[in-house]
Amino acid sequence: MGSIVLVARLVLADVRRHQVQAAMLLLAVTVATATMALGLSLRGVSDAMYEQTRAATAGPDVVALSGDTGPAVTSALAELADAPEVTAHHGPYQVVYADLTTRGSTSSPVVVQGFAETPGPLNRPLVTSGRWVRPGGAVLERGFATALGVGVGDHVTIAGRSYPVAGIAVTAATSIYPWAAQIGPYGGPSDYTGLAWMTRADARALASSRDLPVTTALDLKLRDPAATESFIDAHRVPITFHSWQFTAGQDMVILRNSQPILVVGSWLLGFLAVTGIAVLAAGRAVAQTRRAGLLKAVGATPGLIATVLLAEYLALALAGDALGLVIAHLTAPAVASPTASRIGGAAGPDGATVVAATVLAVAVAVLSALRPTLRAMRTATVRALSAPAHQPRHRPWLTALSALLPTPLLLGLRLTARRPGRAVLQACSTATTVIGIVALLVIGAQPERGYGLDGSSALPNLRGEHDRRVMLAVTVLLIALAVVNTITFTWTTAMEARANVAIARTLGATPSQISLGLSTAQLLPSLPGAVAGVPLGIGLCAMFTVGKWTLPPSSWLFGAALATLVVTAALTALPARLAARRPVAQALSAEST
Amino acid sequence: MNEPSPVVDVRGLVKHHGEGQGRVRAVDAVDLEVPQGQTLAVMGPSGCGKSTLLHLLGGLERPTGGEVRLAGRRIDTLGEPALARLRRRSVGFVFQAFHLVEELSAAENVELPALLAGCSRREARRRAGLLLERVGLADRARHLPSRLSGGQRQRVAIARALANDPLIVLADEPTGNLDTAATLEVLRIFEELRSAGQTLVIVTHDERVAATADRLISMRDGMFVDDTRLAGAGAGPVPEAGTGTGWLGGLIGLEG
Amino acid sequence: MQDAVLAMLAKEPAHGYNLRARLQRSLGPLGGSMNPGQIYVTLARLEKAGLVVCERADGLPERPDRKVYALTPAGQQRVAAWLAEVGWPKPDLAEFHLKLAAAAAARLADPVELVAAQRRELLRRLREVQRAALDEPAGPGAGLLLEGVVLRLQADLRWLAACERAWSANDDDEAEDA
Repeated sequence: MGSIVLVARLVLADVRRHQVQAAMLLLAVTVATATMALGLSLRGVSDAMYEQTRAATAGPDVVALSGDTGPAVTSALAELADAPEVTAHHGPYQVVYADLTTRGSTSSPVVVQGFAETPGPLNRPLVTSGRWVRPGGAVLERGFATALGVGVGDHVTIAGRSYPVAGIAVTAATSIYPWAAQIGPYGGPSDYTGLAWMTRADARALASSRDLPVTTALDLKLRDPAATESFIDAHRVPITFHSWQFTAGQDMVILRNSQPILVVGSWLLGFLAVTGIAVLAAGRAVAQTRRAGLLKAVGATPGLIATVLLAEYLALALAGDALGLVIAHLTAPAVASPTASRIGGAAGPDGATVVAATVLAVAVAVLSALRPTLRAMRTATVRALSAPAHQPRHRPWLTALSALLPTPLLLGLRLTARRPGRAVLQACSTATTVIGIVALLVIGAQPERGYGLDGSSALPNLRGEHDRRVMLAVTVLLIALAVVNTITFTWTTAMEARANVAIARTLGATPSQISLGLSTAQLLPSLPGAVAGVPLGIGLCAMFTVGKWTLPPSSWLFGAALATLVVTAALTALPARLAARRPVAQALSAEST
Repeated sequence: MNEPSPVVDVRGLVKHHGEGQGRVRAVDAVDLEVPQGQTLAVMGPSGCGKSTLLHLLGGLERPTGGEVRLAGRRIDTLGEPALARLRRRSVGFVFQAFHLVEELSAAENVELPALLAGCSRREARRRAGLLLERVGLADRARHLPSRLSGGQRQRVAIARALANDPLIVLADEPTGNLDTAATLEVLRIFEELRSAGQTLVIVTHDERVAATADRLISMRDGMFVDDTRLAGAGAGPVPEAGTGTGWLGGLIGLEG
Repeated sequence: MQDAVLAMLAKEPAHGYNLRARLQRSLGPLGGSMNPGQIYVTLARLEKAGLVVCERADGLPERPDRKVYALTPAGQQRVAAWLAEVGWPKPDLAEFHLKLAAAAAARLADPVELVAAQRRELLRRLREVQRAALDEPAGPGAGLLLEGVVLRLQADLRWLAACERAWSANDDDEAEDA
């Protein structure tokens, strides 16, 4: 008990003293876990929303569809309706393939379903605004209406005839917009299609007026809703069946890219978090080693010391984890449902998501704190109390290399020769950022078919838009963490090199030589990072893309790497300049005490 | 004959640290001339402003008032880059804490100023070799500072201070961290510099270091309270009585 | 001792017991070892040497000792010479201490100046010894002996620095009092 109090007290004191670092750890873990939790919970949220829509609209268990007309189909459907497993049915009803044009002359394929004016017990679309179909008035599916920008009271032209929009509704009988057609005309493939409802009479009139293709549909309710597979297997007739499970799965198509973007993005974010925090932790290694020595001197066991050092990181990481899960929970419905075709919200994140996010948070904490903790535990008590923590190592190759370079670069390399490990971290950090930007460019470069008539982009491809938006958000987060990292790296390096900087100043180095040196010492490892980031980003995209895809122009990729370097240079300039201008006399006297 | 301008010429030098009530007059209206080739020691209790004086002479700090001239050139009005060039070519610093770059070998430390001054790598290396030989450390050139003794480190620092053949060497408590034997090593090098005509200003609280100088200034509260010629031309206000080493016998007990 | 007693008389003529009390004040606990008769023996010697004269004082009939001692011109010369003297054959701290006290009391000389002069002399000696020591190789030779001399001179110089601080502060106090 006493040791828990001690650990808590030490951790609290440390967090209070290092608020910036604590905030950074919290922020980085929150961002990474929120992204991961969001990515992992997309399917669950999508399923949950389908489930809620299905409950609210008395969704059928199976929809039977046939592009043919004629007595054979009619009798086959009648047989299905009388099958022993079926407890209720709705239809058969007509599904008419037509074009829809709005006042703003946006055109889209549409399927019109002929429904009764008073809905039956099965497949009762939920009217979210306006009212249900009446003669001469159409109801639009909500996802479709939102994409068209049409509301109740507006007029739309369907197959050349104008209809007022009587209401907006949602249904679980079809997939979300733009996959409402389920099957195409005459049983063929379907294009991106919206859904509208009319009275049976209006639908029939529409179909016959222009001789439009028609599909006959029948909604069925089974005794056992889970047994859709066996029902479909048992009725091998020339009819297309869509089970509710199939429809729910079809909803995920729009999220097919978002999920890997978010999950892989969360790995990258986690990686950036580790690099940044590890550098900060290394900057404090001296103090921590000394503190560990102090604790050992008063009789603490190595286990307790490790606990104290790790507890702070773990506590902050778990707080960030909780925060990230809450953020993921709040944003999930918006991210998981880019169309308005479903209702409801997300339940809490499932166990697997919580576990995965927590594993990520703990991994970030442990990986960043591991080295200082091990060092603090291993260092002998007396040495920890007295010796400087960092034993300088001679790196003749670095000195030899620097001799070939102009003076500021030479200075930068020789003064910051302490930690090549940090150069690797800086390179990784830059590579990660470039990977994110390259992925964004790749996604932006993919050609896509709009949802309008004949692939017109008057109605944008919602899936592409969604992918780009999610990727942009992930990239922005990556860049934000990378910016914080770069500033942290430069400042930490400058602080560690402050004695050497002061010495160089007494030897006649100008502040601009020093700041240029510090900047380039940071920038140098960024160069291979940026160069490596381009192929890595392309490789990552290749791993997660199915089928053919287009590479963005190489000038874009090159420009992205170059821009990253330029921004990195600009970011290192300020801390380097501040560090180079510190009064020399002060730095020297601080060093000798 | 034209009197050459003194290496150091300071008029009414004032330096304040801090502001308002907490303001400290580190250097308070000081005049000083150091002719070419003189070794000047500045003594005084800690906090008397002697280190600040040294920083002002080397352009590491800017005076609050007054003028500082190095070899006739005013330096208190120079910009930071010009000051840096001045330190590079005309001033060599030696510190109590040595202030070597810990990651660089002895030779690489000595090379630094020459490289900063734009020397070729070969030339810098050659000069570093000569200087290390001069301070008796030619065989330690490739050692890291952490593998050298305190005295050896200070000798490397002195070699580095001499790298660009400076007008003046400014030493701040150069023996403060050294034992007797290492102090003697450093004093021997100073003695050699003195005989080679190097102008040298040493801030110290070690009487034995001060006593080897040509001239001794005592500072208190930012002001000079005493200025004594110990040797060299133009003896100061000291009566010439009592010189000679006859007193020595009495002191060590050879006489009754 | 003789010089110190003479210097004390430089301020004004004094009784033997007065002189003794002032000596003891200056020396503090060290003055306790002083033989009570010593001051009179010293005064008698000084009188014999013609450096002081002895006068009978009036007005204090009840006291057995009514001799008042005063400096002769020869005595005054001797005092001046002693103050200027910076020899330090064997560091006699008590003597130097008394010199400062007497100089201050009689306002014969500025003690701070006396310290500075003494310091210059000791520095000059330290310089000679130190330079001699630099020529000696390390080891148990003459260098070691010279090191001993250096350390003693250093100690003396540090004490002089303390004297200087104390007397300077004293000056400042008096300046403020005035």
